[in-house]
Amino acid sequence: MISLPRGWRRWSLWGLLVVLVASLLVTLVWLAGRYEADQAQAKMERDAADAASDINAALTRNVQSLRALHAGEPTLADWKQQAQFLLQEHREIVRLEWRDQAATGTLGAVDTPFRQPVFDRLGRTNALPDVQHACSAARRVSAPAYAPSSFVQQPDGLGLEVMEMCMPVGGASSEAGYLVATYSLPGMLSELIGKSVMRGQEASFNEPDGTRLAIYGMAQHGKRAFVGQQLLDLQGNTLVLRMTSWRDAPDVFPNVLTALLTLMSIALVTVMLLLGKDIRRRTRAERELADALAFRKAMEDSLVTGLRARDLHGRISYVNPAFCQMVGFSMGELLASGIPAPYWPPELVDEYQQRQAIRFNGNLPPREGFESVFMHKDGSRFPVLIIEAPLINAQGQQTGWMSAILDVSEQRRVEELSRTSQERLQATARLATVGEMASLLSHELNQPLAAIASYATGSRNLLQGHSPADPILADMETAMQRIAEQAERAGKVIKSVHDFVRRRDQARETVEPQALLQAIMPLVALQARKLSVQVHTRVEAGLPMALCDRTMVEQVLLNLARNGMQAIQATPAHSMGGESRLDLAIRSGASDKLVRWLEFSVQDTGSGIPDEVAPKLFTPFFTTKAEGMGLGLSLCRTVVEQHGGILVFEPAPGGGTIFRFTLPASPISDSTGKLPESPHGTVT
Amino acid sequence: MERSLDATVFIVDDDAGVREALAWLLRTRRLLSESFDSADAFEAMLSRGFEPRTPGCVLMDVRMPGTSGLAQFEKLLARGWDKLLPVIFLTGHADVSTAVAAVKRGAFDFCEKPFSDNALVDRVVQALDLSNEALSQRLQQGRLALLLAELTERERDVMRLVTQGLPNKLIADQLNISVRTVEVHRARVFDKMNVKSAVDLANLLRNQ
Repeated sequence: MISLPRGWRRWSLWGLLVVLVASLLVTLVWLAGRYEADQAQAKMERDAADAASDINAALTRNVQSLRALHAGEPTLADWKQQAQFLLQEHREIVRLEWRDQAATGTLGAVDTPFRQPVFDRLGRTNALPDVQHACSAARRVSAPAYAPSSFVQQPDGLGLEVMEMCMPVGGASSEAGYLVATYSLPGMLSELIGKSVMRGQEASFNEPDGTRLAIYGMAQHGKRAFVGQQLLDLQGNTLVLRMTSWRDAPDVFPNVLTALLTLMSIALVTVMLLLGKDIRRRTRAERELADALAFRKAMEDSLVTGLRARDLHGRISYVNPAFCQMVGFSMGELLASGIPAPYWPPELVDEYQQRQAIRFNGNLPPREGFESVFMHKDGSRFPVLIIEAPLINAQGQQTGWMSAILDVSEQRRVEELSRTSQERLQATARLATVGEMASLLSHELNQPLAAIASYATGSRNLLQGHSPADPILADMETAMQRIAEQAERAGKVIKSVHDFVRRRDQARETVEPQALLQAIMPLVALQARKLSVQVHTRVEAGLPMALCDRTMVEQVLLNLARNGMQAIQATPAHSMGGESRLDLAIRSGASDKLVRWLEFSVQDTGSGIPDEVAPKLFTPFFTTKAEGMGLGLSLCRTVVEQHGGILVFEPAPGGGTIFRFTLPASPISDSTGKLPESPHGTVT
Repeated sequence: MERSLDATVFIVDDDAGVREALAWLLRTRRLLSESFDSADAFEAMLSRGFEPRTPGCVLMDVRMPGTSGLAQFEKLLARGWDKLLPVIFLTGHADVSTAVAAVKRGAFDFCEKPFSDNALVDRVVQALDLSNEALSQRLQQGRLALLLAELTERERDVMRLVTQGLPNKLIADQLNISVRTVEVHRARVFDKMNVKSAVDLANLLRNQ
């Protein structure tokens, strides 16, 4: 099937619906009209039946009244008098006759007082055969019988349809005969039928063949006639009683009204259903919207990034709580503020306005953001990183700018701190290296000087044993004394140089062991990241404070850690992605009565120290590195030994090397408490 | 104090020049010396059944390859020979603090290189005197122990009370013996300990 265009199909559906509704309405109206007609027809049938039964009952009653005329063998005069009374009461009867036994002669007759005698004009004879025939029938069945109706000309020129009834009276006596009552058919209709039945209707007697015999009633003639027929079956005669009611065709208007009402009800119910559905949908949509809004709000509130929206004139149209917190102004203050914004430092307002002008001329800011300085409400400045993007509305037009603002002051501070600590450590490292160099030089020079001084002194000792009279020997002794003096002078020069380099006081201080590790961790971590080495630190709980020259010990740790990482880097397993880890650990070492020791260890996963290198490891200027001076480990040992500790190394269980060194712990608050001072106490 | 002729100075230094110079200097003062090029060599000699029977002292460099002077000193301390073999450390300027710490631990002294005049030799002589004294004290203690071993239980009790300065009568009361018996014991103690009076006895025992 070829699918119709979507719009067309929808319209055809609507058309079908209209047609259906229209046909429904027409059917409704038609059915209503038919129902009304049916009701009217049924009423007519009922009325006709009522009328027929009324007539039958009245005729029966009349028969009894008429029979009463002949009760008690009345004289003719009496009869006539009685008949007069009766005729006054029964207007439908126009004439009563007492006929003889053969029904041919009349014993007496009384006409109704309400009209001229019926048979005055034409005489009685015309109707007589019918009467006689009826009488004989009545005699036969011993009950009243009716003659066929006949039209009787009247003196006034009109005619009257009458029907005669004959009933035998007087039993078997001589006076017996027939009582003939002449009924006027119009009179029957007007008198015998109940008034209530007749209201607004027309009643007529008809022949079975449809010939109308009499009519009564006055119905307005409308467009449509409702007819009810009933057969009036009398002895000897049969009449059709027809009731006619003229009325207009059932009114369409009320039916249409009903239909419209129905239609409107349907429409109303439909609309209500639709409305209900719509309300439900709307409620759901509202709830979803509220949820979405709450979600958005929670998201905005949870951000630590400040959000700020500005319109095209630079006025703030939205800020989130993080931004308010950042600058210290409330949301209301910010929304009410104009240009310059309250968080612009006054000295930078011009620059910012220029920047804003550039921005609003449509120049996109750098995608990675730009740095700026904002001012807190309390006047303090702080650096921020701003990332700006155009704000586009649903119609695709730019309505402003949306900015994400990051407070980078903490980051700056950390960077600064890290840089200064790095610089400090490096400066100390340089100084320590120079110091170590001086120390080594002085040691190396002092050895021959010591020998020279010894020989000079020894020579003088020998010369003193001889006679001082010999002038050569005296001169020699003086020379020996000078040699000793010059050697001593050289020693003093070396000492002064050494002291100058080492003028830093080797001040011992108490320091938390883990603080020593923490001081070097930034630098170690930096290098570890570069070499992708994992650094683990483990510090035993409840360690005493260390008593040491903090900066020098940090140098030792740093040197050992760097050596370890370089050893790892040189391992083939490292470049192939094997495990590379550096373990820095502090635990309490062996302690005796006099002093408690802290043991520091630095363990790497390098390839270990070759046997031929191990004995020369601490020798000054011995190095395995291309750019090393060979002073690192020598310096480490000097520092450790200056603290009274020892520095040793051994192969690590899983390959690699462990360097261990000991430092004295602070003796304070010791339970023994008897030590007057530390055996390795403060020395300058 | 007269020094025995077999006093020995042990020189421990990795620098051959210094070793020889020191040995020569000591010889000019008529002192015998024995040189070692490392602490390990010195330790090896010590552990080969060496027993300090003659006065001696050690001149040791602080900084040496292998076992450091300080570590070697700890080993001497562990043997309890810090008095029998006093140690004088030879230091450069860099190791002064180490040497000072060592002196606090019981080293005899330290001397900065280069040495001047006879100061070092004088300190060596003093160290040898200390060693000699410690040796003779140890000797005397050995002798005293022998004397004490000869005393009976009762004589030892009497001697203890005598040195506390108690008269015979009180000693008799305390030990529940007669004064006469106390006098006998007392005379025998004096005889065995080779002293003339209670004061001499107290002096002898004080050094114990």
